[in-house]
Amino acid sequence: MLKAYMILSILLFSIGVVGLISRRNIIVIYMSIELLLNAVNLSLIAISADMADSSAQVMSLIIIAIAASEAALFMSLFVVLFRNRASLDANLFDILGNKHA
Amino acid sequence: MQNEILFATLALVAIVSSIVMISAHRPIDSALSFIVTLISIAALFALVNATFLFVVQIIIYAGAILSLILFIIMFLNIKDENLPDEKYKNRWLLATSIIIAPFSAILIDLIMRSDIAVNGVASEGFGTIKDVGLNLFSKWVLPFELVSILLLVALVGAVTLSKRSE
Repeated sequence: MLKAYMILSILLFSIGVVGLISRRNIIVIYMSIELLLNAVNLSLIAISADMADSSAQVMSLIIIAIAASEAALFMSLFVVLFRNRASLDANLFDILGNKHA
Repeated sequence: MQNEILFATLALVAIVSSIVMISAHRPIDSALSFIVTLISIAALFALVNATFLFVVQIIIYAGAILSLILFIIMFLNIKDENLPDEKYKNRWLLATSIIIAPFSAILIDLIMRSDIAVNGVASEGFGTIKDVGLNLFSKWVLPFELVSILLLVALVGAVTLSKRSE
């Protein structure tokens, strides 16, 4: 069962990397990053169940907290970027700040 | 046997919905299919007796984070001309999959060959909130406090970023 969980985790991680590299919509890029974190969490939980040790569950709890703080920052970035450029295209966001080059 | 069938179904649902998530054109479609991925991952947690993490995954990920994403997508009032015109999106997805596939094939091959399963015997209250909480507040106190500082920084940063600078 542990091997099946690890293989599923690798597959989900690869799908997340593909989405992260090949898409230009920033919301989809953000959700791909969340998918990477979830794949890592899945393998941590499988290892913790296999070793009968709950330390890995605490680790994935901390990863979930980090993902929540990341979500808050990303959402405010979306609002600011959309207000300045009226687009979700990642290719447009090459400078930070409001000086239009 | 029952567990294997459940695992196969949930894994299939997770993979298909995440593929839909990275290939959908409109962000609302990808957010809705990402909810399906997260809930099936939560069910996979429950399948290995991680009951507390199952509840946390449902409440925080599928509840808080995804409803925040859906709220932002609807709040921004995104029209079709605001989306990037990804003319070669399918070609990009195919090319990146071809690049990534060997790496995941190597990893899967390593996992298949290795002998990683320990098959430890879980005690009575494994994965419950008492077990995880005792571990969190005895061995993991320092990371816990660091995470609380990180959450404070993210809170201040989100407020500062979204303030209009006039």
